[in-house]
Amino acid sequence: MRIDPRSHIAAIRQRLGRTEYRVGLFIVIPAFFILLFILLRLGYSLTASTMDVYVRVNSITSLKEGTPVQIKGYRLGRVVEIRPLFKPALHFLATLRISREIELYEDCAAVITNQNVIGDPVVELRNPERKGAFLREGDVLEGIESGSLEEMMAKVNTLLTEVTAIVTVYREVSQESRGDIRKLIVSLSDSIANINTIIQNTQMDIINIIGSMRKTSQTLDDVATEIKKNPMKFLFQGKK
Amino acid sequence: MMEPESISAGSGGRLTAAAGAVVLRYLRGAGDFCAYVVSIFQSFRSLRFIRMRSVNAIILNQIVYTGVHALPITFVIAGLLGGVVIIQGMTNLPKFGIEGYFDNLLVIIIARELGPLVTALIVIGRSGSAMSTEIATQKWSREILSLEIAGIDPRLFIVIPRVAASIVSIFCLIIFFDIAAFMGGYVISLTQIYVPVGVFFQNLVFSFSLTDLLSTVIKSLLFGLLVPLISCYYGMMPRSKFEIPIYVSRAVSRTLFIIVVLNAAVSALFYFSWME
Repeated sequence: MRIDPRSHIAAIRQRLGRTEYRVGLFIVIPAFFILLFILLRLGYSLTASTMDVYVRVNSITSLKEGTPVQIKGYRLGRVVEIRPLFKPALHFLATLRISREIELYEDCAAVITNQNVIGDPVVELRNPERKGAFLREGDVLEGIESGSLEEMMAKVNTLLTEVTAIVTVYREVSQESRGDIRKLIVSLSDSIANINTIIQNTQMDIINIIGSMRKTSQTLDDVATEIKKNPMKFLFQGKK
Repeated sequence: MMEPESISAGSGGRLTAAAGAVVLRYLRGAGDFCAYVVSIFQSFRSLRFIRMRSVNAIILNQIVYTGVHALPITFVIAGLLGGVVIIQGMTNLPKFGIEGYFDNLLVIIIARELGPLVTALIVIGRSGSAMSTEIATQKWSREILSLEIAGIDPRLFIVIPRVAASIVSIFCLIIFFDIAAFMGGYVISLTQIYVPVGVFFQNLVFSFSLTDLLSTVIKSLLFGLLVPLISCYYGMMPRSKFEIPIYVSRAVSRTLFIIVVLNAAVSALFYFSWME
């Protein structure tokens, strides 16, 4: 005979009375939480043989639901969920459901790599060299993408596209500017010829200036000699 | 005309006498309270003369009033406090490069300190004052005298059920307070940073040590014991109906003071480095 739980609860409520029922709930709920807390603190787990840990990745190019999770080639579990997160910037959180049978440490690395020639992606967990606290249910690991063929091909493709675009731009620029460059070179040679003429003319002028400066200095020497010989005559020259 | 020296000596003497009177009054009050507590423990001897069914009914009703009816206000205050703590944490923790420690902050501030203290304040404000008023009114209307005439120990019938109910209620309310504050903090933290709910509560569980739990249990026991004891003590004091508000106000203020001092003492006992 099947018992309807609602009628069962109603019967308990009637038998106990409203006050007892409320007080019972008021005491049982905190007691449940305290018990749960003590069990968790003592290391018991509510889940069975698996635990969920999270891997934070920037892109999910090579990661999808069902991607296997392994350590040193031994399969531990799989990716069960990938969800986008928008804060602080767009990234993704992959949920790994893995077995508890192998000891993993909280500083372990989650490397997203390819497991064979075909390039099937896999999440490879790597324990740190120094053992620390154990990896616990709900811990978040930083995903490291390494050797993803799809991603590498995508990157090479992007690079080739960019190189082609740059070469095209250079070609267009060189074709359009050919005439301008020729004019520029002619103008430059004219300018150089002008500069040469100016320099030659300037050289003649400079020689003349230097000659006149030399004459001036000779005159000044004569005046100085005259002053030395007859200073009074020089000073009172022209005065009665 | 008096000499200045004799005036100062006289005023000094009066001051000393006044201070001594205050100290003596407090000591006498403490002595009376201790005698009252001892008399309550002595009243257990007449436990066999009382019907447990009626005591159980008082305990249940008191738990409903002190605990169950206080849940909504506790939830609201706890949620808001949890949110405020997280807002302050999100504003200030990044300056120190420790923005990932929201859960530790919640445990330290809410679970260790604010949870027991604010819960006790809620209970004092709601139930402590109500207990004092109820008992004072019962005394004024000679209901307590009627109990004594009927051979029922009023301390056993009035005080002890309230103490038991307060201990249970405060402990459960602290747990509810912590849960509501954690949830409020989590909801507010979602506006800035996404943390999976499982991860958040997992970290909370591992930040909350068994020492924290022990300190919470001890605080709830002490608060649950002292709030009804002090409230009932002052409820028994009025000799006329005009004194009822005076003693009710005194009950609330003294309980508040003692609870805050006790909270600090227990925290110092548990978390000072010399205890580790």
